[in-house]
Amino acid sequence: MNIIGPDKLIWGVEDLAAAKQFAVDYGLTPQNEHYYSALDGTGIEIRAKDDKSLPAALTTGSMLRKTVYGVKDQATLDAIKAEFTDREVKVLADGSLELVDDMGFVLGFQITIRTTNTEKAERINAPGDVNREINQPGVTKTDVPRVQSLSHVVYFVPDSVKAEAFFANRLGFVTTDRFTGVGPFMRPAATQDHHTIFFIQAPAFMQGCEHFTFHMAGPTDVVQAGTNMVNKGYQSFWGPGRHLFGSNWFWYFKSPFGCNMEYDADMDQHDESWQGREAMIGPDNSQAFLLQYREKWAPGPGGPKP
Amino acid sequence: MVQSLKLTMNKIFLGVIDDFAEEQAKGFDLNHSGSDTFFIVRSKNKLFAYKDSCPHYGDTTLPWKRHHYLNNVAEYIVCAAHGALFQIENGKCIQGPCLGQKLTKVPIEISEQNEIWIDQTIIKEFNL
Ligand code: FES
Ligand SMILES: [Fe+2]
Repeated sequence: MNIIGPDKLIWGVEDLAAAKQFAVDYGLTPQNEHYYSALDGTGIEIRAKDDKSLPAALTTGSMLRKTVYGVKDQATLDAIKAEFTDREVKVLADGSLELVDDMGFVLGFQITIRTTNTEKAERINAPGDVNREINQPGVTKTDVPRVQSLSHVVYFVPDSVKAEAFFANRLGFVTTDRFTGVGPFMRPAATQDHHTIFFIQAPAFMQGCEHFTFHMAGPTDVVQAGTNMVNKGYQSFWGPGRHLFGSNWFWYFKSPFGCNMEYDADMDQHDESWQGREAMIGPDNSQAFLLQYREKWAPGPGGPKP
Repeated sequence: MVQSLKLTMNKIFLGVIDDFAEEQAKGFDLNHSGSDTFFIVRSKNKLFAYKDSCPHYGDTTLPWKRHHYLNNVAEYIVCAAHGALFQIENGKCIQGPCLGQKLTKVPIEISEQNEIWIDQTIIKEFNL
């Protein structure tokens, strides 16, 4: 099935003003009262938790109310509708589909709203392999990192085997790598991103979103955007660093969405020839390296000193 | 006289009760580590102090922004990483990944003049 990846996450939050401010400070652009988007049009819809337009909440307190996937075309929507004869599939006014998956999460499917309106990946130069335009500084003080595209969602699920089976067998996702006893990283058929979902096995009372993230143009933007967040008083949860599975750079921040919100960049791309790996989860396998923010500093007392 | 002076020298002044509005929280970073290590909540005219460390992983702080320890209606302490809710009076997690576990209570002292103090030995003992 030609599913591309998450187009939109719909939230029912407790503190609407805080969540909206956080979204703007993170770097998303308000398109209307509820919708905050990245450059390519993907994004998050932020509503009050008692908003009547929202699908029912899980009983765990999770604020994530719906994950909407972007698909290639109407034929894919038709195929999804035809696949799920075992449950109710609603066709909403905008033509999108809505159904509840085997874990109880509400999923939506729509012809993708993604545009190609993203920036070039960060260009780096190495001896004999020059990628950045001549006379183009790689970084300046005035650079504004821009959020490119909704990347992936990580879910706590009570049965990661069942979750994997649902996405593999019913929606055509492929497992790229796996943490033993924890769960799979999966990508849908119409993207080569290492993962758009990762499932973490957890007690039923934890079911919900562990984190979600947007792609940035490169590691510099991840670190620059994260630094901006720190300077605005937001609190880091984990990072900056670089994961091993997926090779994506990361920086996670706690958020008013009841889960972490991450920046990521430079994720591995895979096709059918990829052989999935498996490892035990833990600090050593979760990252190649981990750094920690420090206030700007330079040798010498604020001026040139030999 | 000498005794009481010494006691005062062994304590760190954290402020006065009136620094806290009702149903408000505040984090403290006594070592200027860049991250608060404990926090005090004023609720129903009482003060409660806890280590700023979520029992879910035991090694990360709670708020999404400095001093934002309480939920919107100031009914619970929140860990913003995965939305855990804790009772203000006893630090017990009633929803979220650390369900049933507790925040670590930090002993503080309140003088007759409504001043809030913390003992150096507590700071050492709790690694604050
Ligand atoms: S770290 Fe606090 S709820 Fe997960
Ligand atoms: Fe991630």
